[in-house]
Amino acid sequence: MAGVMEHVLGNEVGRLIVGLIVVLIFSQLNALFLVWLERKVAGHIQLRIGPKEVGPFGLLQTIVDGLKLVGKELITPKRADKILFIIAPVLVFVPVLVPFIVLPFSKSLPLNDMNVGLLVIFSFSTINVLAILIGGWGSNNKYALLGAIRSVAQNIAYEIPLLLSVLSVVLMTKTLQMSKIVEAQSSYWFFLVQPIAALTYFICATAETNRAPFDIPEAESELVAGFHTEFSGMRFGLFFLAEYTNVFVVCAVATTLFLGGWTGPFGYSLGIPGIIWFLAKTYLLVFVIMWFRWTFPRLRFDQLISFSWKVLIPLALANLIITAGVIKLI
Amino acid sequence: MPLDSLKNSIEKKCPEAKVAESDHSKTGWYLDVAIPAEKIVDVTETMFDEMYYLEAITGLDFKDGFQVLYHFNKFKTKERIVVRITTEKGKKVPTISSVYSAALWHEREVHDFFGIEFEGSPDMRPLLMPEDADFHPLLKEFGKVNAYLRMDEIYGDDK
Amino acid sequence: MAMINSEPEVTREYFLNLGPQHPSTHGVLRVLLKLDGEYIVEADPIIGYGHRGHEKMAENRTYKQFMPNPSRVDYLSGFIYNHGYVLAVEKLMGLEVPERAKYIRVICSELNRISSHLLWFGTFLMDLGAFTPFLYCFDDREVILDLLDSITGSRLTYCYCRIGGVAKDIDDQFIEGTLSFIKRLRSRWTDYHNLVTKNVIFIHRVKNIGLITKDIALKYGVTGPNLRGCGVPYDIRKAEPYEIYDELDFEIPVGEKGDIWDRYMVRLNEMEQSCRIIEQAIKKLPRGPIKASGVPVKIAPPKGEVYFPFESARGEAAFYIVSDGTEYPYRIRIRVPSFSNLQALIEVLPGTLVADTIAILGSIDIVVPEIDR
Repeated sequence: MAGVMEHVLGNEVGRLIVGLIVVLIFSQLNALFLVWLERKVAGHIQLRIGPKEVGPFGLLQTIVDGLKLVGKELITPKRADKILFIIAPVLVFVPVLVPFIVLPFSKSLPLNDMNVGLLVIFSFSTINVLAILIGGWGSNNKYALLGAIRSVAQNIAYEIPLLLSVLSVVLMTKTLQMSKIVEAQSSYWFFLVQPIAALTYFICATAETNRAPFDIPEAESELVAGFHTEFSGMRFGLFFLAEYTNVFVVCAVATTLFLGGWTGPFGYSLGIPGIIWFLAKTYLLVFVIMWFRWTFPRLRFDQLISFSWKVLIPLALANLIITAGVIKLI
Repeated sequence: MPLDSLKNSIEKKCPEAKVAESDHSKTGWYLDVAIPAEKIVDVTETMFDEMYYLEAITGLDFKDGFQVLYHFNKFKTKERIVVRITTEKGKKVPTISSVYSAALWHEREVHDFFGIEFEGSPDMRPLLMPEDADFHPLLKEFGKVNAYLRMDEIYGDDK
Repeated sequence: MAMINSEPEVTREYFLNLGPQHPSTHGVLRVLLKLDGEYIVEADPIIGYGHRGHEKMAENRTYKQFMPNPSRVDYLSGFIYNHGYVLAVEKLMGLEVPERAKYIRVICSELNRISSHLLWFGTFLMDLGAFTPFLYCFDDREVILDLLDSITGSRLTYCYCRIGGVAKDIDDQFIEGTLSFIKRLRSRWTDYHNLVTKNVIFIHRVKNIGLITKDIALKYGVTGPNLRGCGVPYDIRKAEPYEIYDELDFEIPVGEKGDIWDRYMVRLNEMEQSCRIIEQAIKKLPRGPIKASGVPVKIAPPKGEVYFPFESARGEAAFYIVSDGTEYPYRIRIRVPSFSNLQALIEVLPGTLVADTIAILGSIDIVVPEIDR
């Protein structure tokens, strides 16, 4: 048995396949865990407890909810575009899994440490928007269409400052490879020298994942349920899980770029393995994003867009120019 | 008394008005104005100029006709007025929605419940009743009621 | 104003139903919106989904039998309506109510007003997207409901006031509970103000939006906090005082412009004023009987009519009762404030965005069953 494992892991393709299976399992478990975490965090902020019956501390609640969703009838509206309606949930989930291949969980763990890792992550995250638009249009429902249109505008507006702030970091490290970016932070973490870029990135990341206070596309109290109004059963479940996985990916990227990835503070790892550092920092950022959702009201759509165009983009641009200037001088 | 000036303007616009003072501690209003149905728009314009707001329009069903009451009040104390018109069944009442936009919904409701037609109103769709209802529920002939009286049985002989 | 024409044209504008089932219309309300992109061109509220025929019921029930009905008209200020109905019948009969009963009724009415405003606060913020204050408000409201439950027996729709007084006397437990609740509520103000009132996102959502000016208020008969938000200090409790309101010392909070922010601040300040009223009333609470003596078993007021207005949580509500001398009323008309307040939206909404519509609808605090009766 051990010999087979070694043979498989030694082979490039075998390593890839095993790694993909592990990534799939991890991402599913992670999504389930995040749903539970959200409900617990929401409960405690709202002076109540959250799920506690099913399993210890309610941990199995998500699995049971998932089973319930699987058992529901998949209703397709009569005049919905059938092909688009079926593709949309799948299309929203698949691109979220791809970044797991390049995320640097620890020194040896990025599955395939491509030298354009960062580019891969951001190009696949834009397919997310396409999937939302397909879902909204294919539902043949005015509410869903409104939600999808808003989502497209919001994502376009917030993609630009996101990329600009990431560019500032890339200018400093001169590489797009994720593991090299982490290694460049072995003496100090980047958020200390790039606070504006870190803040801008975090705000844009919240907007990219359609989380409150930027959750207009799925505004529960305004458009019933936004772009996923018509999706029932596991189709809705896929949208839901994809959103949480996206939150994890975005926080993981933030950890890599600004919080030092798997390194400890100022290079002292304190005996804790790198993967624990990475996961701890990522989940801390996820907790902060969840905290936002239950504290702030929602921005109105035009205020949201004007915030991006009039505040974030100039800020990110200024930060980029200053970074470029400082690097040139030093 | 501020109500004296109002009395004068009403009587100027509508000489047939019967303006009576009323005991607020008994009835809740200070002036009771009874006018013929055709003059309602003129009197309402007077009220609007004097900055009254329309509180409610009530319909009453009696054996010898309908009464439509318009309750007016100011955003101050001691100024509630009731304007009454009496119509026979089947006659139309002019609408006051050109003066008070609030009257639109109130008139629709009175029409729903009593079948009184308000002529000139831009919108007479049913408000509370379903669109295909062909009965008027608050008429005393509809359903079970306890009393169906004439006007003088309640008011005495002075209205 | 009927917008549904028979011939469909190809236009830029489209219709959207803020349908009867919607998470943020407070009740079964349908608003037919004509939209141009995200801007509203015309708005037409369509009501009547919950019409139960209270006014017809009134003609078939005696005055005593009709008593549970007013609570169910506006279930959020159920006590205030019950109180108002009883006061209207007492005025028609010319009954004198003992002092202790008056004080008890005022204390409970003000508690009901606070609970209604708290619920408004929670649901309004939920419409804006902040889900957490809803639970804090309900936590506070639970205390009020328990207090009122201990003396009246019901949590939401009350039938505690009787023609001539109240049904049961209050005990020291109720008084201590009320005083400790007021202390607790006052400590919550800092939380609410820090987390909501000073929140930049919230301020941007509510300032200068949904202006109900004095002209609109006059044309449509808007009353209550919506009217006080535009600067008119008109409150029935001060203008035509009933019960013991003229012996108590409280202020009427007013706003300036009539936007959502003003209405929000007026309601928050009104809760504080209600706390003041309750404290004074408890201090002055006299001993004595709680029911008038000599109230006949068959309530048959003399022939006549009465129009009795009172200040509910939403504005000026009124009962207009015509009596024919028997124990069955000839006609009872319930004037509800939300009827006029909602109508004002026909003029306020055009020109705003869909997201603002939800905020404006939430801020005028309507209860649709009250409109439908």
